[in-house]
Amino acid sequence: MSRKHDEWGWMLAVDFFFAGMGGAMLVIAGIADLFLGNAQTSVLGNFAGAIFIAIGAGFLILELGRPLQAFRVFMNPKAILTFGAWNMTFAIIAGLLFASFGITILPWSGFILVRKFLAAFCIIFGLIVATYPGVLLARHKARPFWNGPGIMVLFFLSSFITGMAGHILSGYVIGESSWFIAEGYIVNSLSSLVLQDLPHLTAILLLFQLIFWAGYIWIKRSGGTDREAEAAQRWINGDLSASFKLGFILLGTIVPIVLMLFTTPVIHSVGACLAILGGMIMRYLVVRAGEDRTWLPGEQKYRSRLPVGNEEFLKVWK
Amino acid sequence: MARYAMVIDTRRCIGCQSCTVACKVHNELPVDMIYNPVTTVGPTGVFPNLHMVHIPLLCMHCENTPCVDACPTGASLRREDGIVWINEKKCVGCKACVMACPYGARISNQEKGIVQKCDFCLDRVDMGKIPRCVQSCHQKARIFGDLDDPNSEVVKLINSHHTVRLLDELGSKPSVFYIYGLEAQMR
Repeated sequence: MSRKHDEWGWMLAVDFFFAGMGGAMLVIAGIADLFLGNAQTSVLGNFAGAIFIAIGAGFLILELGRPLQAFRVFMNPKAILTFGAWNMTFAIIAGLLFASFGITILPWSGFILVRKFLAAFCIIFGLIVATYPGVLLARHKARPFWNGPGIMVLFFLSSFITGMAGHILSGYVIGESSWFIAEGYIVNSLSSLVLQDLPHLTAILLLFQLIFWAGYIWIKRSGGTDREAEAAQRWINGDLSASFKLGFILLGTIVPIVLMLFTTPVIHSVGACLAILGGMIMRYLVVRAGEDRTWLPGEQKYRSRLPVGNEEFLKVWK
Repeated sequence: MARYAMVIDTRRCIGCQSCTVACKVHNELPVDMIYNPVTTVGPTGVFPNLHMVHIPLLCMHCENTPCVDACPTGASLRREDGIVWINEKKCVGCKACVMACPYGARISNQEKGIVQKCDFCLDRVDMGKIPRCVQSCHQKARIFGDLDDPNSEVVKLINSHHTVRLLDELGSKPSVFYIYGLEAQMR
């Protein structure tokens, strides 16, 4: 039997990734604006935060079995997916409105109080959007790798790393195309202290990520149940280990830490790209790790004997 | 109001898969969808004391339903009589319930784009009949009844035997009770 019957696909991982990154970009932009003043993050980065959440929502819709009925996910306020869907919607709206204040030719760009309110909304909804995928996974009692608050912390951390990386990249792109700024169409964030400090802060968070992931795998490996240990084994020397060690740990965490220690913006941008890649790989691997359920007696053996979907007799049957 | 439950006597089950087939036929399921798998544990032990047990699985119709809580559309519902079912018109196939169910009882139907599951044959139950899998079990290994009726067979079996509920430690309070053979090792 094909696994697509009983597990989430890669598009949900992409949703988690974009929602996390976009949400964190809004939080960073909101905090910078609220406490440090205007133009601390680039206009492109501010817009990108909202747009990334929208892209994530798009992938979430595509993951559905009936995408045209997607509006129904707003219907059950008790469900965390509904909570997430509403907050993604609010975050997209707040993010786009907030970012529009960076376009100086728009008539409302001078309304500072409104901008400050929108910055606060960006922080609130961005935080929720960046956090809820981790909470969603952590509540799955029968998924040994997900269960527990640890995954929430790891997702939250990764969201902020990729969010910072997103702002670093956006700042670099805006810097390279400063014609818009020179003409006075958008606010000038080129001298922003926040953007200058983000690479170092990202390096620190990447270091935290490295330590937390090592701890998380170790705890799962030696932790509560045999099922958790089995699930962790997939990351240590199982089918997920190569992507985890080379893709996420080395390329997506250690190399960006080193690159962020340089002082050249181009190298920072390369490091940011790798950190973003690492975040995407991590989300994909975590969603795949959800295949491991707490198996019922004899279930694993039973399922291993089911057809995978490409057998001749199935083709003939259909 | 009734409170439906099922007792599965694994000492009687011979793993013939009649219930699996009857369920598939009754619910007109695609070839790659199964509501009612029957798994096998064993053989265990040392010759000549070998043991093997067959375990029919199905939706546990939990009292605390993680699947219903996870459903963002409100398509997953639990009736007052304890039957957990899916309103297919409302389901969008997000698979949140599939992931939330600890028993793997929910399956995504790729053709319809929705999630489906065992509903204790509620169409039959509403007509006063027993579920199709219970009717088809020639070994009488599946017993269906009302937990609120002290004279029902399920209540008598639960009171007179040591029954277990799968993954009871998760706190979902399943409505399916298993009677295991004494020596059977549940691994």
